[in-house]
Amino acid sequence: MAIRDRVAIVGVGYTDFSKNSGVSTLTLASRAIASALADAGLGVQDIDGLATHRVGDSALPGTLAHSLGLADLAWHLDQFGGGSVSHAVVGQAALAVAAGMAETVVCYRAINARSEFRMGGTGRPPVDAVETQYQAPYGHLAPPQQFAMAARTHMEKYGTTAEHFGAVAVTQRDHAVHNERAMMRRPITLEDYLASRWVVEPLRLLDCCLETDAAVALVLTTTERARDLARPPVLISGAAWGGGFTLYSHGQPDPTVTAAHSLAPRLYSQAGIGPTEIDLAELYDCFTYSVIVQLEDYGFCEKGEGGPFAADGAIALGGALPVNTHGGFLSEGYVHGLNHICEAVAQLRGDAGARQVAGAEVALSTAQPGYVSGQTSALLLRRAL
Amino acid sequence: MSEEFPKPVPVPDRDSQPFWEGVRVGELRVQSCDDCGLLRWPPRDICGGCHAFSWHWRATTGRGTVLSWVVNHQVFSPSFATEVPYTVVTVAINEQSDIQMVGGWCGAGAPRAGMAVRAVYTRFDEETTLVNWEPVDEAPDSRDE
Repeated sequence: MAIRDRVAIVGVGYTDFSKNSGVSTLTLASRAIASALADAGLGVQDIDGLATHRVGDSALPGTLAHSLGLADLAWHLDQFGGGSVSHAVVGQAALAVAAGMAETVVCYRAINARSEFRMGGTGRPPVDAVETQYQAPYGHLAPPQQFAMAARTHMEKYGTTAEHFGAVAVTQRDHAVHNERAMMRRPITLEDYLASRWVVEPLRLLDCCLETDAAVALVLTTTERARDLARPPVLISGAAWGGGFTLYSHGQPDPTVTAAHSLAPRLYSQAGIGPTEIDLAELYDCFTYSVIVQLEDYGFCEKGEGGPFAADGAIALGGALPVNTHGGFLSEGYVHGLNHICEAVAQLRGDAGARQVAGAEVALSTAQPGYVSGQTSALLLRRAL
Repeated sequence: MSEEFPKPVPVPDRDSQPFWEGVRVGELRVQSCDDCGLLRWPPRDICGGCHAFSWHWRATTGRGTVLSWVVNHQVFSPSFATEVPYTVVTVAINEQSDIQMVGGWCGAGAPRAGMAVRAVYTRFDEETTLVNWEPVDEAPDSRDE
């Protein structure tokens, strides 16, 4: 039974994005959930499912249920994992709704990623994976290092340049100028990018995402019920996840091909939508390189052409495929994946103000494409007609 | 190295212990499937190619090719604070190119993609030896290559 268009996103909610929220992840999650329910015109009593993903850094669905006074959740999901499973959380919630296990599910992600739990740093023990023992002793223990390793291979193999990476950073900052929520709104130039300090060569500071304290939440329900709610429903036309090789163990011999490459055809076939019909893409941008490799693996350009595609202006607002219209993790803030879905919903509702993509009908939103964990996930969303 | 922030050392598990024992005696070991001959690493019990559980350790030549490298400037762990900038390489071993290992770089110059390298067994402490890499043409016995 196809998932296509049977479940809708009917509300999105945010907390402030900051470097120090001053509150717990439980508090952040509660606030984002309340905000999303208000957006949907629903109340806490309407929730019968809760889902999140975490890496030991956030409030559990059960804890949230207790806080909200929900004594009997029909369905919940506490998915272990980082950005690679962010879109799988929403996909699995959609399955639960489509299967009738729950009627209204809230997906949330709450992190104090700057003030409490910094990814890959500083002083935090390396990730708990079997393969860590083969990398951490050499000082190779954080995501930027692993992405830098793959980015270097892409540069060597396809001639991708620092200017290509820089084009992604500059373009997304231009988008964030139009986003009141964004943490970084001062425009930057390619010269600013090239002058920014090395983090881990070939990646500079402006190649790297922000570290953010924030929560976001999304409300899902059946498309049928969605038509009676406050906001225009955004339909989940496709939801796919996949992969398997972990790049900790380097089971995937060519690091310039990600798990998204094999996921994309499944996603497109589920939705009956191809890359040429997509109006905008919110691509997981923990690092600039991640955007470039996904432009290729989701079929917007040929393998190796992601750099020139980005640098030629295609990914800018007004270009052929506006990418990360909110500024992405590089400029809006890092909420580990779900803030990309929230932005896609805003665009498809026509709510995106000065950064609105005119006539946006179909959006792709993606998770971390498969480095580190080996897995990825993605959603194809479309405006209800 | 800082006393206060000890470096992460490999903690051998039930699968990896023989690998690290090999490194300690200057031998880079991978597993070889008894049924199909496919090599595998990191160690695990089942062959991903033919799904046989029967295998043996095989000592490699400790030779490989540089696939990629990074130069660390940011201090990601305080235990490496005094080492930045430092280079880490990914090496495909000569015996089977999809076996790719990450290690420290011992070469005098910068690594290059495609550079032929050999393992350098670097004693860390009483219990632990690590695998770093250097260009074959910088090795003491390179005349024998």
